[in-house]
Amino acid sequence: MIRLEFTSSELRLLRTLLEQYGEILRSEHDPVLERLFPAAYRDDADAAAEFARYTRPGLATRKTAGAASIAAAIAGDDGAVALDDDEAAAWLPVLTDVRLILANRLGIVTDDDEVPGDELGQVYRWLGALQEHLVDALETRADP
Amino acid sequence: MVPDVAGSSPVIHPSTVEPRPSGDETVDPRSSGDEQWSPDTPWTTVVWNDPVNLMSYVTYVFRTYFGFPRAEAERLMLLVHHEGRAVVATGPREEMERHTEAMHEFGLWATVVRA
Repeated sequence: MIRLEFTSSELRLLRTLLEQYGEILRSEHDPVLERLFPAAYRDDADAAAEFARYTRPGLATRKTAGAASIAAAIAGDDGAVALDDDEAAAWLPVLTDVRLILANRLGIVTDDDEVPGDELGQVYRWLGALQEHLVDALETRADP
Repeated sequence: MVPDVAGSSPVIHPSTVEPRPSGDETVDPRSSGDEQWSPDTPWTTVVWNDPVNLMSYVTYVFRTYFGFPRAEAERLMLLVHHEGRAVVATGPREEMERHTEAMHEFGLWATVVRA
């Protein structure tokens, strides 16, 4: 098992982020949707639209389910969370998407853009550290 | 230590701003569209660099989804990072679309490109 330890404020933060992630997945005009569901063809709008028509509902459903699995794992007041490998793997795409959303809000567009030191920037860094920890744990178990 | 933003103003509240048209995006150099091709020309799945995804995570995705050995997964990740993109799969169009959809599920920026 991969064990994580969250403070109560970290649990509240994660729950808030997951709720807002769900709202964004259900929204229609948020600019970050272009990144969460990228155009699959850069030079063929018709093909991109058809790809989106076939894939987006399922992608949105699976992204929503991923967020729900994290919400369930942190539903209790106890910040001690134990994940098996499959559960930990399910956290990674959600953490990526939430970081993509935060980067959009922070104006992080290129590799040269610095992460601001404000609260949102700190949240972004913290989620990155959490994701790195989970990837490291999974990779170590796959190939010690 | 993480700031306690829960309960205060929304952190990433959905925006009501209309998306801008993406006419000013950089042009894919592969996309000239007038090159010779035939119906059996293979297609590719291309993964593009972004400033958000962790190098370790991109390697992890390439290794676990495509089944690449770790060294090959790292080579492709570094190609994405340094060159801005990498071809991660080649084959029939429908298969490349499946891979692209999978990359989108992982949060990676991928497109289908004619080889």
